[in-house]
Amino acid sequence: MNDLNYDELGLRIGIEIHQQLASQQKLFCHCPNQLQGTRAPDFEVLRKQRPVLGEEGKFDKGMLVEFLKKGSVVYEGYYDSTCTYELDETPPFSCNEECIDIVLEIAHLLHMNIVREMHVCRKNYVDGSVPGGFQRTMELGQNGHLLLKSGKEIGIENIFLEEDAARRSKTEGKTSYFRIDRLGIPLTEITTTPDIHDPYEAKEAAYRIGLLLRSTNKVKRVLGSTRQDINISIKHGERIEIKGVQKLDWIPALVDFECHRQLKLIEIKNILTKGSAKIAQLVNKPVDLTSLFQDTDCKFVKAGIKKGLKFTGMKIAGFKNIFGTEVFPNIRFGTEVAGKVKVLTGLKGLIHSDEDLVGKYQFSEAHIVETRKLLSIGEHDLFVLLLAKGQALETAIDVIIGRTKAAFKGVPEETRQAQEDGTHIFLRELGGEKRLYPDTDSPAIILSEERIERIKTVVGPYPWEVIDAYSKKHSIAPEIVEDLIMRGNLTLYDKLITILPDNPTLVIRTITDMVKVLHRDKKNTEQLKEHHFVVLITGVKNKEVAKEAMEPILEIWTRHPSLTLVKAKEQAGITSFDLSQLDDIVQGIIEKNLDLIKARGRGAMGPLMGDLMKAVGRGSIDGKILSSKLNQALAPHLPAKSVNKKKNKEKKDNKSPKSPKNGGKN
Amino acid sequence: MTNVTNEYEGYKLESIEILKKFGAKTWSKIKIENQMGISEGIILPRNKYAPDGMVEIKLKNGYNIGIPLDSTTKIEVISQEPKMEIKFDPITPAPNKNLPNLVLMGTGGTISSRLDYVTGGVIPAFQPAELFAAVPELADVCNLETEVVYQIFSENMKPKYWLDLAQSITKKVNNGVDGVIVAHGTDTLSHTASALSFLLKDLQTPVVCVGSQRSSDRPSSDAAMNLIHAASIAGKSDIAEVVVAMLGSSDHDYGFIHRGTRVRKMHSSARHAFRSIGTPPLGMIRESQISMFTTDYHKRPSPTVETYAAKKIEEKVGLIYAYPGMPHDLLDFFIDKNYKGLVIAGTGLGHIPYDLYPSLERAQEAKIPIVMTVQTLWGYTGMDVYENGREIQSYGVIPGQNMLPEVALTKLAWILGNYSNDQEIRTLISTNVAGEITKGEPINGYQIFQGVESHLVPEKHKTKSPKKKKK
Repeated sequence: MNDLNYDELGLRIGIEIHQQLASQQKLFCHCPNQLQGTRAPDFEVLRKQRPVLGEEGKFDKGMLVEFLKKGSVVYEGYYDSTCTYELDETPPFSCNEECIDIVLEIAHLLHMNIVREMHVCRKNYVDGSVPGGFQRTMELGQNGHLLLKSGKEIGIENIFLEEDAARRSKTEGKTSYFRIDRLGIPLTEITTTPDIHDPYEAKEAAYRIGLLLRSTNKVKRVLGSTRQDINISIKHGERIEIKGVQKLDWIPALVDFECHRQLKLIEIKNILTKGSAKIAQLVNKPVDLTSLFQDTDCKFVKAGIKKGLKFTGMKIAGFKNIFGTEVFPNIRFGTEVAGKVKVLTGLKGLIHSDEDLVGKYQFSEAHIVETRKLLSIGEHDLFVLLLAKGQALETAIDVIIGRTKAAFKGVPEETRQAQEDGTHIFLRELGGEKRLYPDTDSPAIILSEERIERIKTVVGPYPWEVIDAYSKKHSIAPEIVEDLIMRGNLTLYDKLITILPDNPTLVIRTITDMVKVLHRDKKNTEQLKEHHFVVLITGVKNKEVAKEAMEPILEIWTRHPSLTLVKAKEQAGITSFDLSQLDDIVQGIIEKNLDLIKARGRGAMGPLMGDLMKAVGRGSIDGKILSSKLNQALAPHLPAKSVNKKKNKEKKDNKSPKSPKNGGKN
Repeated sequence: MTNVTNEYEGYKLESIEILKKFGAKTWSKIKIENQMGISEGIILPRNKYAPDGMVEIKLKNGYNIGIPLDSTTKIEVISQEPKMEIKFDPITPAPNKNLPNLVLMGTGGTISSRLDYVTGGVIPAFQPAELFAAVPELADVCNLETEVVYQIFSENMKPKYWLDLAQSITKKVNNGVDGVIVAHGTDTLSHTASALSFLLKDLQTPVVCVGSQRSSDRPSSDAAMNLIHAASIAGKSDIAEVVVAMLGSSDHDYGFIHRGTRVRKMHSSARHAFRSIGTPPLGMIRESQISMFTTDYHKRPSPTVETYAAKKIEEKVGLIYAYPGMPHDLLDFFIDKNYKGLVIAGTGLGHIPYDLYPSLERAQEAKIPIVMTVQTLWGYTGMDVYENGREIQSYGVIPGQNMLPEVALTKLAWILGNYSNDQEIRTLISTNVAGEITKGEPINGYQIFQGVESHLVPEKHKTKSPKKKKK
């Protein structure tokens, strides 16, 4: 599928990055900015949300769609870390100043024009993810830009400060459960202009914005704290918003899929407009076929009818072969329509006459002929069969008519949900600016010249400059510096390298690899704070801690963070050792093993090291010192030539750590 | 809320001058440039309390922002857009013979107001067609006629308005409606409910006062649910009293039916702010199913009787809240200004500081009845328990028993408007007329759960789980 020429297609991509801020408190209340993980909630509150009249006095399209799926929403909360604000029982407190400052800093990094008077707006959501039914959001800056690695500059359209929505914890039937710990966590949303013309460039831009955000050390880094959406359009197509792009690696596949889909939809439009099909012929005239099909051989239809569902047919004039047209391998236009019906009605799908009705569904020829007659299906017409009743049926018919009518215009504007396989499915109608209303509960927020200038003074250098400078100064790979930034470890590194200036490799290994190993072993590495590393590295510097002992000590601290270095060493079974005794011990071991040395020569090193480590206590002296001592003591007992291996070994030890994988993926 | 078209609505001098210079006004689509860059949008009316020197625009992306206007500002007017207004498709359902005929009296407040989506202002109108458009389910519950009596925030209600409202209701009820809904701001919803309880005599139908704590422009509004509940109660229940129907919990689930004289707004913003004090609610409603918790309420009379509204109401009544260090001037003010009656929300069992006793004596001489209530809200006055309580009584202060302070106020306004005999007035104040004084307080009349109850069960009472034996 790499036959796409993005330039010819007129591909335009814009990205939206949503990033949680690492402030102390939430945006509009004083609850902690902290997710509660798997902790069981203390209480539940049941709500039912309704669409409200929009500016035109009609139900907003996007909201109406959500309402069609209506069910109840249950909010799960905690007494100690959520309040009546999150539950929409108390008006907002004043907007958190720390959050405003963080976003101001980011806006400066993106060269944005700062809005002098922010107006808190409401963005309506009726999927239940916000108890109030709307998210509070404000625009803080506009018209910025970002330099890509290639030297190209892309426009940053806007930067917003807003509240995160609640997280869905489960869905039971028509009831959605949301955990409100995430609700109200401050987010910044950054949107680029759609002047990215290639999916790989989009990926790089998203990564670069992510790196920039993390370089401030004021944003969250945990899984789910960064989310991105992409907007795609091609010439003659329409803007499609794709939500839930969990990994940047997904972007190229999603874009390619959308290009193919839009091309096909445009093709279908051309066929329809040139052919005999007419929009006006698409009418809501369903025919009840229940009695005709009650004894059909198609098992699920028969069972459904028995359960009281209606089997309904409808004519789609002029659509023969259109539903069967693939917009992407294995995804037909019919799949598109069915997908939309499924999302909006909860029905499993639809049957259409471009399918193999006899082979796939076991319908009899007689039934098909009768259906064609009842629906007066002509040469160019298609028919759709639905197994449903009540509201779901009515909605499904409306959706099918709406979607087929839209096919005459080509690509309908939609918000779609990214799938892991690189495709995406209908999520909702594109809401856009119609969903935004002023928030009557909050006063406008003035950003003074003094404040804007004050924040300018704290803005740090660009991460790419930092990477360049560090890799030169400390002779480390740029990827390693990048990893330190992505993980938020650069400040810690700065502190530790002043203690141990000669060994950046060890410092980096300590704060990255060692912590990673502990994390992989399910140790609570959250407990490891800056002072632990400072004490540890100081211990190494003062030769109180052997390199081998570092990881065991850190492991102890993950469980007992308040222990001193001495106590942690004790707990880890590392005893202090008086160096002056070392020579005697080495000598003793050699004398005890003279036979072995005679027999195995240099090969005795291994067992002797084992004995020696046991004698001094594991981790109490650097293994390198031990082996060098042992080597020295062993030399007189060996034939002269085999001594030079030592050099090789040292070389190996000094090898820089492997560059970590391109970590910190969003 | 002015209807006059104002080209610079909400803007002040400095801003208007600059806007005028470029021929821009509200609803102009402009391109504006200053040191901060270029923006494009439509000029919105501005809140009149917002600072000068800014123009507020709606950007194409839907966001509103404020942009400074100064000597460096350049504005290019692109076009003049029509004022953005809410239009709606009115829905006028055909009357259904099988449904009760209800009247909805609008007085204003959140329930009968909507957000102006453009400016964020509040629009007080709530016509029936609009009501049905917003809450189409109402058409399944009742035939509804509406009457806008007032369009005010409820803190601006006045005793006279209570009287007008009572008289309007009486007319409707005697004309044969099956029930009345009063849509009201929640701030003083319970004041009005209690006033109507006293002002309306021989009520034939339910009078259901209802409000909303979240305006109907929000998807999470309680307005629709409360309205549907109120309509079901007004249409179907056998209650012939003034009641308040509001959500019973934070859930969008059930509503409580509160007696108009025992209910109080107990939270400034929560949906379930309305609580019955000192007694459980009369009943509840869930999905149009009404369940009563008691049989002790007035039922619809059969055959019907004529409903009367009181003729007058006394507006010169006051309510003061006792506090440590309270000066006697506060009390003297009411006496000097010829007030006809006064309610005190006293401390504890019904006390006020000693310094005010001489003023009580003055009021007694001026024949101004003073009713003592308790600021604890729950519980009765107990003015014989302490010596000072007895002394206060000796100055003619009437113990209000467990009448809520605001209820005592509306009761006093009603009594003083319609009775003149001192003894009769004193007797009426102390006598239960509309459920405002209860004979006793049931133990569940005072319950405040805070979710910590499970921690309060003594260890020994907790069911022990059988210990597993390890072998």
